[in-house]
Parts: sequence; C-alpha cells; structure tokens
Amino acid sequence: MARATLGREPPAFFRQGPSAFSRLLVFTALALLVLVADVRFQMMEPLRAALSVLLYPVQWLALRPVLLLESAKSTLGAITGNEGDLKSLRQQLATQSHRANLAEQLLLENRRLRELLHLQQRLERPALAAQVLYDAADPSSHKVILDKGEVQGLRLGAPVVDEFGVLGQVTRLFPRVSEVTLVTDRDHAIPVQNARTGARGVAYGNTSSHADALELRFMAANADVAVGDLLTTSGVDGVYPPGLPVARVEKVERRTDAVFARIYCVPVALVAGALQVLVLEPVGADAPARPEPAPEIKPARNGGRR
Amino acid sequence: MIMRPGQRLLMPVNPGFVWLTLLLALLVHMLANMLLWGRAAWAPDLLSVVLVFWTVHQTRRVGMTVAFAAGLLVDVHQASLLGQHALAYVVLSYSAIMVHRRLRWFSEMDQALQVFPLFALAHAVEVLLSLVVGGGFPGWWVLLAPVAEALLWPPVSLLLLAPQRRAPDPDENRPL
Repeated sequence: MARATLGREPPAFFRQGPSAFSRLLVFTALALLVLVADVRFQMMEPLRAALSVLLYPVQWLALRPVLLLESAKSTLGAITGNEGDLKSLRQQLATQSHRANLAEQLLLENRRLRELLHLQQRLERPALAAQVLYDAADPSSHKVILDKGEVQGLRLGAPVVDEFGVLGQVTRLFPRVSEVTLVTDRDHAIPVQNARTGARGVAYGNTSSHADALELRFMAANADVAVGDLLTTSGVDGVYPPGLPVARVEKVERRTDAVFARIYCVPVALVAGALQVLVLEPVGADAPARPEPAPEIKPARNGGRR
Repeated sequence: MIMRPGQRLLMPVNPGFVWLTLLLALLVHMLANMLLWGRAAWAPDLLSVVLVFWTVHQTRRVGMTVAFAAGLLVDVHQASLLGQHALAYVVLSYSAIMVHRRLRWFSEMDQALQVFPLFALAHAVEVLLSLVVGGGFPGWWVLLAPVAEALLWPPVSLLLLAPQRRAPDPDENRPL
C-alpha cells in the first residue's frame, strides 16, 4: 500500500520546528502582551477593529438564521393576533399623546422662560435608530452589539436609549458594528437625579447581588430615598441629556453601622430584551469649553511690591 | 504502524475539510451565542472541541498558531478581554499536543474522559484571567462548561472522522 493512502503520516524526524513547549511560551507571552496592551494601555483598538472587519462576513452569515427566526416570530405573532397587546398599546398611546401635548405646551413655556432668562437654548438632538444584533457572550460583563458603526456616523460615548429609558453607552466603535456597555455592567456608572427629591447621585452597575440591577452608591444612611423613586439622568456628566429615566428604586437597606445606605435599583429600560434602540448624540459635543484655569498667583517675595 | 485492536485504517484528510470545519465551528459557536443562550456561563464552546480534535488528529496542520488566531477572533466577537480566549486556546492546544499520541489508543468514550481535564484547564485559565484583570467571576455555572464539552467529544469525533473512514472505491473484495 502506498504511503499516501494512510491517514497517519509518519512523523517528520527533521524540520519539526520549535518544540511544543517553546511555542507555548512564545504564544503565552504574546497573549499576555496583547492582554496588557488592551487592558492597561488601550493600544489594541486598531487590531480589534481589523479583526472585527475580518469577522464581519462570518457574523453576517451567522445572523441570517437569527433574523429569519425573528421575522418568523413576529409574523406568527401578527397572525395569531395580539388584541390584548393592541389594547394596551392604544392605552399607552393615549396617555403618551396626552403627555406629548403637555410637552408641547411645556416646551413653548420653557422656551419663553429661557428667552426671558437669556439661557442657552437646548438644541434638538439628532438620533440614529439602530438594532441590537446580539448580547456579547462574555458572562462577566453586560454588553450588547449594535448593527451601526463608524460608517453610519456613530460616535464613541454616545448614549443609547430604548422606548423606556437609558440603556447604556457606546464604548467601542468598529467600522460596521459597535459595542454598547449596558447600565447594569459593573464598570458602568451614570449620574442620576432623584425625580421626587431632586437629589443627585451616581448609579453603578451591579452584577454581584442580582443579575440585572444598579446600585445607587454614596447616599447617606439618612438620605431621602424611598422605594419606587424614579431616577433620571441629571445631565451633569456631559454625556447623557438630562431627564431620561434610568432606574427605579427597588430596595433600600439602612444599617446603623454603615455610613451609606445600600440602595438597589432596577433599570427602566429593557436591558435584557431591547431590540430597537436609539443612539443619541453625546451632550458634551456642543457644551462650552472648560474654562482655562486661572494663572496661579505666586506669593510675592519681599513684602508686597517690587 | 501500531494501532489499537479494532481501530480502522483512515484515509488521508482533506486539508480543506479541516479549515471548513473550523470555520463552521466558529459560525455555530457564534450562532449559539446569539440565538440560544446569550451570555450563559455553562454554554459549551464548540470551537474549542473542534480545535482540540484537529490538534489531536492533525497535529502537524493545526496547532497553537491556529488556536491563537481563533482565540483572538472569539475575543473580538464576544467583546471580552483581547487575548483571554487566545491564551486559553493556546494552553488547550499545548495540552492536546501533549496527549495526542496517548489519546488515539482509547475509544471515543474513554477519550471524552481523557480530554475533560483539558477543557477544565482552559476554562480555569479564562476565569483566572478575568479575575486578575478585573472582569469579575462569571458564576458557578461555568463548572458545567467543560462537562458539556467533554460530552460533545464523541459525536464530534464520529462526525469529523466520517469522511476519512470512507473507502476510496469499496467493493466486495476490499471493504477496508
């Protein structure tokens, strides 16, 4: 039997290249290098973007069945008839149109008041509709991937909202897709304002205690926070426009031995199930530049005058 | 060539088939992430199973370089730390190279037991890196992932070896 018909070729005694262990060392060093460069110095974004472009055809292919299933689901849902859904949506529409009318009036009133006060007019922000492609599979972080990227004019740091409230922020931009860090991610913090009391605070993503939640930190143990309070964006961060609903207070733990209260909130937006989202322009783009720090006054020597 | 009793002689592998199955495994892995279980920690990683399979059976074609590249791609897809899966796959590939001569002496079921520690090691590397860099602990469900991958081993080996088991021109006198 000829040699080539066997599946197991005899090992090449010569020219085997470097040994497996030395290759392991080289690749381990390379992986750690990439890791450190990515985490500590953020130097690997070009590589990430290049790989994402490389991966895009595979992703596109893998998404076909997903999209097909979704469209089939929605078609089936339409066929079976969602009378209840329709009814609740009509009700929602009625209340919202009422609110919208109110908003028109308030807008007018607000504009006049602002003109009176010679305040800077708030600009209408352009928004871009996008679709959530998939949840990033890393179990220790909360991120989703959107189907719009740099090509469509997305910007880094742009706030992302759904029809109920703030979903997160664009944290990585690729040519055709982008990554959104959700408000429940443990590395995400968002400045909020209690809609009832007006007290400002910062809500952190909290994945340790329960899955999809936020924690309002650094509120004094006797702070006026009640279960059911709505937290909205405060607008002081230069990223999120003010007044977007973020979360609702779910549980308040006050302990006598702790300085701060532990306040758990659930996000208002559909963090786990949003499909259609809106990407807003970050506020900071047209904010006035930070004033130059005043020149340091040096203490004069030899008394007052020269 | 010394073989275990009852083992069948194999045809040479088609290199295109190796690459195609690796690409398909990546595709299925991504699809399963998007469609079935999202960010569940217990989900088996099909790509790593196929990678170990080809490292064991085609050690000279598929090795650590392929593992490293595949790991980087998975990192980009999953939006995890760049290099996390790359390192895990390289460790996986190295241990597969270490056991590849021994592994062929066992039947598929026993092989699944033998590769289980490999997958456990790879997941340990991933979790450890995530903990060190500050990604957080994914949860105890991650312990199920290597078990699921070891369970995938026998069907994957049967499937991937099937083309090599076909005879070139089988007839009555040459069943091979």
